[in-house]
Amino acid sequence: MNTDANLSGIENVPAREKAETASGPKPYSNPYVAGFGLGLVLLSAFVIMGRGLGASGAFSSLIAAGVNAVAPQHAAGNRFYAEYLGGGNQSPLLDWLVFEVIGVFAGGLISGALAGRIAKSIERGPSISKKWRIIFAFIGGALMGIGAKLARGCTSGQALTGGAMLNVGSWAFMMMVFAGAYASAWFMRRQWK
Amino acid sequence: MVHEEAMEMSAPFFKFGMFGDSFSLLLAFLIGIGFGFALERAGFGSARKLMGQFYLTDLAVFKVMFTAIITAMLGVFYLGWIGFLDVSLVYLTPTYLLPQIIGGLILGIGFVIGGYCPGTACVAVSTARIDAISFLAGVIAGIFLFGEAFPLLEKFYNATPMGQVTLPGLLHVPYGLAVFVIVLIAVAGFAGATWVEKAMSGRKGA
Amino acid sequence: MGGEGNVRQKGSVAVMMLNVKKMGRNAKLGLLVCLLGLIAAFAGNPYKGTRVTIDTAELAGIVQREVDHVNPVDLADWIVKGLTDYRLIDLRSEAEYDQYHIPSAENAPLATLPDYGLGHNEKIVLYSEGGIHSAQAWFLLKALGYKSVYMLRGGLDDWKDLVLFPALPQNATSEQLAAFAKMTEISKHFGGTPRSEATMKAGDTTMPLPKLQAPASPAAPQAAPKKKKEGC
Repeated sequence: MNTDANLSGIENVPAREKAETASGPKPYSNPYVAGFGLGLVLLSAFVIMGRGLGASGAFSSLIAAGVNAVAPQHAAGNRFYAEYLGGGNQSPLLDWLVFEVIGVFAGGLISGALAGRIAKSIERGPSISKKWRIIFAFIGGALMGIGAKLARGCTSGQALTGGAMLNVGSWAFMMMVFAGAYASAWFMRRQWK
Repeated sequence: MVHEEAMEMSAPFFKFGMFGDSFSLLLAFLIGIGFGFALERAGFGSARKLMGQFYLTDLAVFKVMFTAIITAMLGVFYLGWIGFLDVSLVYLTPTYLLPQIIGGLILGIGFVIGGYCPGTACVAVSTARIDAISFLAGVIAGIFLFGEAFPLLEKFYNATPMGQVTLPGLLHVPYGLAVFVIVLIAVAGFAGATWVEKAMSGRKGA
Repeated sequence: MGGEGNVRQKGSVAVMMLNVKKMGRNAKLGLLVCLLGLIAAFAGNPYKGTRVTIDTAELAGIVQREVDHVNPVDLADWIVKGLTDYRLIDLRSEAEYDQYHIPSAENAPLATLPDYGLGHNEKIVLYSEGGIHSAQAWFLLKALGYKSVYMLRGGLDDWKDLVLFPALPQNATSEQLAAFAKMTEISKHFGGTPRSEATMKAGDTTMPLPKLQAPASPAAPQAAPKKKKEGC
């Protein structure tokens, strides 16, 4: 099913929901309800594990495992990878975050399937080509990866988890994320508007 | 012999030895499912919906994020207050102020260029968004670059350490007061967000 | 269009704020959340551990019955049998620990105990030279909510007297002889030397302590908390 034709630019929520209630994908949940649910999931992680959620860390483990498989000496000598490789007696992929992120994929799949929102497509605004969207997605991802490592987390781990725990670094991080995003929004408007 | 004021602490369950590492990995998967489910419900598997935040047409990112934060924050506060949760055993990432500030900036820029953040990109991949696959490939490339460049970046990476510090700890205010203020800020933000969305759609309509 | 709408909006917001009954569902939830926050502001601190009450009668009972003590002889037995269901903590300084420590012990000075990485449900046995520091540490850990905390009765002093250098009293009964024979074996296991009354001088504390072989505490590095990544 190709829904590339459905290029409405930035999601104009009321319009989209009116258009699609009749057939096809269901409208998204009330943000406060979804946020409450997310908050409960986060709270359950605190209560069950004594830690919060995360995402970027799983990818770090993945890379550390990869580098270790290809060049173990190099990995061991690099303090960044070494942190994820631990004592060396167990695979870095047997990590809480790795399993959590696999769950995120699964949860997204379940919710998307239930709501009929699985649709092979490329999210983009009406003014940008598919090729450039893919390129920008990659560049954005790379910047995100670097930023997340510098900050010891991404929006899930730092902003959500650290935010709920009133962590100073997390709140500072969160504010800078919004600042950086708003500052760049005008420059990237071609991509989304 | 020693009595806690209200009840015996039993949470976080893992840190009280209620189950081992293997079971915790299963729980990680289940908690992750909840996480991914909530994100997709909110519509965060769509880059366009996420970006609405930064073009002020759809402030769901703010609403979802802050609702989640105050829910979990109040939950932690009250469960700690009644003595069920040992809050001191909940992990607090140490603060490294400068790299976190710069990292946040870079992440924000990457957010708007890429259209996702790592968590939401996973959900987007699950709902067959091809650009999200490109995004995650970028994340992997970025982390690899960071790892390789780490010897050069290490000093900055470890700059301005402040240890594990909370806002109430830093500002020397009671924890509950900080909770209250954040709740007020969030609720005011929700009201403001509703107003902004109405204003923006009104402007578009006219 | 915009101007009029603005005035109308401001007016209706004011009206809304004054009339709780007419508030939309979202506004009511927002109010509830603010109320929870307000209560939190006066409730104080979610971090426990700052205030505990001690039942002195119960404490006296525990001390008298010595339920939270472990005998050096029993400990020696556990070590010889190779049991690993406990963690033995040496509360002395690093220098003293390096000079000699009970095999399988980990070094953790009292001040570092809360952050050391002990599981709340683990069986923890504390020792110091005598009994004072281990008693203080016992208090500390119990107050922090640790469930199974024990003290080595008599500390290192009794370990030396009873395990490393067990003594056979004069005119020993057959029971005492049997016990001494057993202790002799155990003592040798730890590199100690049994004493007979003849060689024993009153208050002799100059018996050389056994040298620890390099893998003296194989359990320690493994048991030492493998820093699990908890970040993101």
